Amino acid sequence: MKLTDLFLKVYFYIMLALVYFPIAILILFSFNESRSKLAFTGFTIENYISLINDRAVWVSFYNSIWIAIVVVIISIFLGLMLAYAIVRYNPKGKDIIDTLMLIPIIIPEIIEALTLLVFFLILGIPLSPATIIIGHAAFDIPLAYIIIKARLVGYDPQYEEAARTLGADEIQTLFRVTLPMLMPGILAAAFMTFVWSYDDFIKTFFTKPIGFNTLPVYLWTKLSRRGFSLDVNALCTFIIVISILFTYIRMKIIQE
Amino acid sequence: MSPEFEEEKWYIRLLDRIRTSRRLKIALLLGPPLVFLIIFFFSPFAIAIMYSLAMFEKVVHQYFLVPRISLEYYIKFLNLPGIVNVILKSFYYAIVTTVGTLVLSYPLAYYLAFKIPERYRNILVFIIFLPFWINFIVRVYALKFIMHGAGPLQSLLVAIGILKEPIKILGTDTAVILTMIYSYLIFMLLPLYGVLEKIDKELLEAAATLGASPVKTFLKVTLPLSMPGIIAGSLIVFIPAVGEFIIPVLVGGAATATLGLLIYRYFIAVGGLVGWGIGSAAGIIYIIIIVILSYLYIKLVGGEIRLA
Repeated sequence: MKLTDLFLKVYFYIMLALVYFPIAILILFSFNESRSKLAFTGFTIENYISLINDRAVWVSFYNSIWIAIVVVIISIFLGLMLAYAIVRYNPKGKDIIDTLMLIPIIIPEIIEALTLLVFFLILGIPLSPATIIIGHAAFDIPLAYIIIKARLVGYDPQYEEAARTLGADEIQTLFRVTLPMLMPGILAAAFMTFVWSYDDFIKTFFTKPIGFNTLPVYLWTKLSRRGFSLDVNALCTFIIVISILFTYIRMKIIQE
Repeated sequence: MSPEFEEEKWYIRLLDRIRTSRRLKIALLLGPPLVFLIIFFFSPFAIAIMYSLAMFEKVVHQYFLVPRISLEYYIKFLNLPGIVNVILKSFYYAIVTTVGTLVLSYPLAYYLAFKIPERYRNILVFIIFLPFWINFIVRVYALKFIMHGAGPLQSLLVAIGILKEPIKILGTDTAVILTMIYSYLIFMLLPLYGVLEKIDKELLEAAATLGASPVKTFLKVTLPLSMPGIIAGSLIVFIPAVGEFIIPVLVGGAATATLGLLIYRYFIAVGGLVGWGIGSAAGIIYIIIIVILSYLYIKLVGGEIRLA
């Protein structure tokens, strides 16, 4: 038994190292002096200077952020309405809605992306940031719904009843009691939908207009154009740092 | 009575109706999200199916519904040279990835759930999941970078004499499979850990007290109880893995073709009425195969599936 424990422990740390190793090397080489050679020749921050001077990076970063924010607002608003109606009013056809909400989450993303593209084409809707947002929201509304609903199911409706007994009307109860108590669920959903939208590549790539990039799409065009250039490593490191920052913010939110 | 007053009364009356009618409240709450999803999720599906059946015709810049159903795009897709190999290869990659991630992540999930004291558990879980919050494409590129023949890892291995000369991994099946396992590991680890963590430890102690060996306890108690996690994890990995195209494009060879890659090519590179038709047909075939296989898999494993 002790031997299995030791094996599990060693295995765990080896896997941990293997998971981090490629990322560590990637970051290390973003500081490499020689841009084309793949041996570490010396330390430089030149790759980062050219990254900072690359306007396209900042434009696509800005696009990623604002699109994700709009998507979060739409998904939280609509997901919350759905979850509130289902849990508080228990309407007929509730199980059907629950099943329907799972479909966008299970279907492979490339399929959703291609159906949307065909849909916009047939209706003659030109691709724009709005079509990207619509595509993201079609996935993120069910996602927000599932997260918020899990929270809403888990808490006691007695607080709401107490508020009503004490003379608050339904709207007051909603804003003074229900929403504040739901806040952790709403924040969790907002974070998940934000990260999903911010990181999304497939749907964005299929539904974006020509010349409009988000950060993952910009990285993709750089990667599929040329083989190895260490500028890309600097760009990747930038994306990694932002992702870790988001994860840190999420931790802080959860702690509170 | 002034008209303004009349209007206000109408407004108040409407609010009153909403306040007192339960059905109206439900309709107002359910309406907007459901309408959004019906328009932008479910109807695109219907339209893509119709499109793949050649039910639309292009006149100048507009598309018109024509009263016919034709399988021409499906036939064109199934007649593409080497299509059987492409489909088989996609499933080969997806199956190896599913089995690989399951075998690799089960001990990890088990270790986290059973061998780590609770106060260290959260921090270890955080550390192992952190890299997976990084963008998918970045992780794929990171792996491509170290697999490169002239890359740092292989140069190092050659320098210290483990390798005689750099081996060509990029462009091979091995590269695609390794990258897929690396990228999909999290989707298996999450449900497995979620299920194992919830298993009551007293059950395992009871089995041990009653004289079961550790191996028997694992086979008779832990493994059956973790079945829902295995089923969920396998489906969550397998379903998108069949349609994966980012990894074949970035680390596969020029000859590497998968179902996902074909869909991507027909939509992005080929395009046009026919290209999109073939791409849609490929997508519909993909969905049909996935639904059938998932159904058979759940039947075979005999578990009840609960994804939510």
